[in-house]
Amino acid sequence: MGLGLTLLPLAAFDPATLPGQLVYGILIGSIYALVALGYTMVYGILKLINFAHGEVFMLGAYVALFISWALGYTPEEMQRAPMPSSLMVLGLMLVGSMVVCGLVGVLIEFMAYRPMRNQPRISALITAIGVSLLLQYGGALFLPVSPPPVIREEANPVQGSLRVWIQKPPEPLLGQYTEAEREFEQAKDAHKNEQYKIRTNGTTEEKLAALSDKLAAARTRYSDLERQIQPKSIRLILPHGLLVMAGTSLVLMLFLRWLVMKTKIGRGMRAVSQDFDSAALMGVNVNTVVFTTFLIGSALAGAGAMMYALFQGLTISTFFGVAPGLKGFVAAVVGGIGNIPGAVLGGLIMGVAEALVIWSGLDMFKDAFGFVILIIVLLILPKGLLGSNKVEKV
Amino acid sequence: MRFWLVRLASVAVVLVGCFLLQQWAAASLTPYLQSLVFLAGGYVALAVSLNLINGITGQFSIGHAAFYMIGAYTTAFLTATFFKAQPLDSTAWVVLMVVAGSVVAGIAGLVVGLPSLRLRGDYLAIVTLGFGEIIRIVVQNVKALGGSFGIDCRVEPAPPSIMLMWLLAILTIAICRNLLKSAHGLPFLAVREDEIASSAMGVQVTKVKVTAFVVGSMLAGAAGAIYAPFQVFITPLNFDMYQSFIVLTMVVMGGTGSVTGSAIAGLLLYLLPEYLRLMKQPGTSKAISIGGPAVAAGLVGVIVLVWLLRVVQAKVVGSKWQRWAGNLGALAATALLVYLGSLALHGVPFLRSRNYTMAELRMAIFALVLIALMLLRPAGIMGHHEFSWDGIGKRLRRRTSGAKA
Repeated sequence: MGLGLTLLPLAAFDPATLPGQLVYGILIGSIYALVALGYTMVYGILKLINFAHGEVFMLGAYVALFISWALGYTPEEMQRAPMPSSLMVLGLMLVGSMVVCGLVGVLIEFMAYRPMRNQPRISALITAIGVSLLLQYGGALFLPVSPPPVIREEANPVQGSLRVWIQKPPEPLLGQYTEAEREFEQAKDAHKNEQYKIRTNGTTEEKLAALSDKLAAARTRYSDLERQIQPKSIRLILPHGLLVMAGTSLVLMLFLRWLVMKTKIGRGMRAVSQDFDSAALMGVNVNTVVFTTFLIGSALAGAGAMMYALFQGLTISTFFGVAPGLKGFVAAVVGGIGNIPGAVLGGLIMGVAEALVIWSGLDMFKDAFGFVILIIVLLILPKGLLGSNKVEKV
Repeated sequence: MRFWLVRLASVAVVLVGCFLLQQWAAASLTPYLQSLVFLAGGYVALAVSLNLINGITGQFSIGHAAFYMIGAYTTAFLTATFFKAQPLDSTAWVVLMVVAGSVVAGIAGLVVGLPSLRLRGDYLAIVTLGFGEIIRIVVQNVKALGGSFGIDCRVEPAPPSIMLMWLLAILTIAICRNLLKSAHGLPFLAVREDEIASSAMGVQVTKVKVTAFVVGSMLAGAAGAIYAPFQVFITPLNFDMYQSFIVLTMVVMGGTGSVTGSAIAGLLLYLLPEYLRLMKQPGTSKAISIGGPAVAAGLVGVIVLVWLLRVVQAKVVGSKWQRWAGNLGALAATALLVYLGSLALHGVPFLRSRNYTMAELRMAIFALVLIALMLLRPAGIMGHHEFSWDGIGKRLRRRTSGAKA
């Protein structure tokens, strides 16, 4: 009995799936980057590791869930009738999560962190841990946790996925495959519509059974062809949802960049992050700056949470924010905590690293891998990849 | 001569005391209460050993559970593999395991400590946190250590774990106290106050930091080595990030650097949630159940109370009695608010339909206590102070002389 890591599946390191995994890593990395921005902005200004940030993220997912329920995407409603979604729904969820999370972040800062500003930093850190625990366990008292809720897939207006062939399969096969796929999709839709009808007595069991058979046949044919073309081709499958997620994240990051570099409050933020006391003496309204930082950082987390929960179809609990929170935190440190481009870089690195770990078949270690990268980076560059290296003086 | 007599006497008292504690607990307590006594000792040992790193030497380690885990898993692995085939009895085996566990944890401490010395403050904290998570995830995936299922490390007959754990706790306290009271402790304090200045004064900063790290890790490893056979079956979930956070909280809440504070906070913070879990309705054996409106109002009430108490702290200057009157006033106002609030919230059907037991509420209460204590007493219960008989005497004398004048 050795301490061997004997759990590796053999399908690891398949070169055909590598490009797909890399792109997926970048897309997921955009969420980690959004979370990392919140950590890094708060750290840059208050020198506080805001452990409650992951819980703000969790609240964002819950807000999106409640909005989707309010708009009618409840599990009961979904069984009654088909309900198309629109970009409007997506926008409402996004804005709602951002607004509520921003307000929660500001509230946490005002109630818990502001009184600790002149206290030892470790006490502030413990307060942050306390707030995090309070939101996790206190939230579980009032928020729906069981059965684990999930934002209904139907609320997602951007279904389907984009396919990019890097190496196309030989021609007759490709044509057959595309055809089979189309048929499969059609059979699926027809079957689903019929399912709604049977509840309203608009159809018969026989019709539904016939459609079921058709669906099963289409699925078999499709998966057969899928198996045939897999060794002969390399392709990227990009769910539209993930593309929207990464695109929205990019827009938000560009907005943040503009805010920090071009506006008055952004200049204030940069000044405060360089030297808190001097900035205050130079007439920067420190409280406004901290307020804005928490507002924006938390709103970014809310946007990330909503998209993460919806497009990945994840179940939500009050511990929903722990894993992405930790990854975002690690991303912020890898990039150089306090540094905004660094947080984005760190987020992408975390996403890609995670995808690579899954690709290499070590997915049970995927949570540890981020920390391994973190430790290696910190040992080589003690201030992170893009962090400034200041000399400490007495 | 007198010094040695006192030393000898106190060692004897400790040995006898722990032995009696073990006998009493084994004879008259339920297994659950025994585990409370045992783990209370364990948390004292963990908190005080982390205090050596965080409080006394001023290094920022938030991955203490990793070393605890290493000690426990070393013991578990050795016990599962070798215990049946060796001639020692269970007490001697556990003592041997304490040595093994603390050595392995010490080596791990050295491995983490040496490279981390390039890092300061928060970065060291992050690396220790990451190390703790890596260890846990690796153990979770190594079959020989039971993976995420856990590992059985039964030692038969059951060793006197309570005695051993409390002996370890007192040993840890003694090490830290003696370090603080002797010249050997001065470099540690100097490093805490200012690394660069103390190195300019000739303190070997690296040596001090590594020593603190290794000794702290060894003590945590020893605690883990005693914990594993008592728990019988350990899983990686026993040692997750929150264990580290809770131990860190104990150190900060006790007052960083204060050995007494860490010990008291270790006891309090471990026993408080457990006490809440056990709380029964007075006179009956039914668990306390609180309605949703009262819980919601209580939550708001605590926030208001903390705010009011802070106002009193900042604004009311005057005699001790005036300040106490202010505090009591704040308390009364909050109680009234909670009462009225819970009546008002009865109108909310979502809240009215809910009931919570203390066991469900305990972690939320724990978190609230944590935040409230930190906001009201950021330096911790004891601040930088230590418990001493002289101090108590002085305080009493001052009080009586004050009363005379």
